[in-house]
Amino acid sequence: MYYYLYDNFLSAKKYQSSINKIESRLTDLGINGKISHLSFLKNIKQILTEEIKHGIKTIIVVGNDRTVNQVINLLPDFNALLGIIPLGPHNQIAKLLNIPEAEAACDVLSARMNTRLNLGLVNNNYYFITSLELLGNNLTINCDNNYLINLDGKNNSLITINNLFSFTNKSSIEDTLRLTIKTPKKLFFLKSYNNISRLQARKINLSSKKSIPILITDEKRIIKTPIEVVISPKKLKIIIGKIKRENK
Amino acid sequence: MFKENQPLSANETDTIIGPSVKVEGDFITEGNIIVEGTICGTIKTAKNLKIGPQSKIFSNIWSENALVAGEVQGNINCNNKLELMATAKVFGDLKAAVLIIASGAVINGKCQAGDGKAKAAKPEFSKQEKIELKAAENEAAVNLKTKNKKI
Repeated sequence: MYYYLYDNFLSAKKYQSSINKIESRLTDLGINGKISHLSFLKNIKQILTEEIKHGIKTIIVVGNDRTVNQVINLLPDFNALLGIIPLGPHNQIAKLLNIPEAEAACDVLSARMNTRLNLGLVNNNYYFITSLELLGNNLTINCDNNYLINLDGKNNSLITINNLFSFTNKSSIEDTLRLTIKTPKKLFFLKSYNNISRLQARKINLSSKKSIPILITDEKRIIKTPIEVVISPKKLKIIIGKIKRENK
Repeated sequence: MFKENQPLSANETDTIIGPSVKVEGDFITEGNIIVEGTICGTIKTAKNLKIGPQSKIFSNIWSENALVAGEVQGNINCNNKLELMATAKVFGDLKAAVLIIASGAVINGKCQAGDGKAKAAKPEFSKQEKIELKAAENEAAVNLKTKNKKI
């Protein structure tokens, strides 16, 4: 059985026609199911727990990366299959998984091609599919407990930790996190990230004297240091689009 | 490997250490490495290593191929090819199957190039045989001179 979770922002008028088209396509394909709209008053965990108790095995998220991210933190506990119908701005996760936007995504759901993806795990608490970002002022980074990276105090480096950065075939899922450090080079009043460092590690520890604000795919969280980022292998069962062949 | 018209591009490189980054510890990877910053510890890679002109390395290096344009304080061991550019400064021993040194490069240490197996075995001569051999060589030289005079 399918369970559809609509994001709060989809109640706006401009999305109404797209939603109508999606719903009629789902009915045509025979994969329609129960629909629930997210709101500030509803607790997603409570809703999902109840629905999974009633026998739902596939949860379809209708919305953008932020909506997917809210559900990701709950799904590993339930072992349910996740599908995405991307709608609205910021759909990087769907793009990476080759899922087309709006109505066309219904055909992908119907094909039901699925895989198990690695998830990034922050402090054994927060999961992420694509990346997390933070500023690297006075930060020490320890990779795989093997080497330390020291960043100068006031260089305003931007640190990105990527889990999934390309998805051309199932074997392209790597068991390492990609750490990117971008240091701005000031040209008068312009800031351009010229100095880029890129490393790969299985486990990344970040330590600093203060708590660090972290941006996990559009969602800002303030997390106390030290922060440990690891890969949680094959944690998320997800429906993916047709795999594009890699051009070599 | 690192030809001027075919440089090791950032896209095909697994690891890049930028100029503003300092790395301390054992840096061991399986892929290509480009270093533009500072590293203290050990560098080991099964593939290629490129050390930029501004970089400073205070460690021993093990790699398949290496191109050095910066300062290295430590020994460099390459299974295949080691190339030192004109801006390179190495304070340590070099060991590689193929060693290329550009004019202007600074080396303070021992160099060992090639695999060392191509060395010919030294033939054993007795003293008398050596004397006879010398005499024969001298005779041949004299004959050559007289022939040349006649001509």
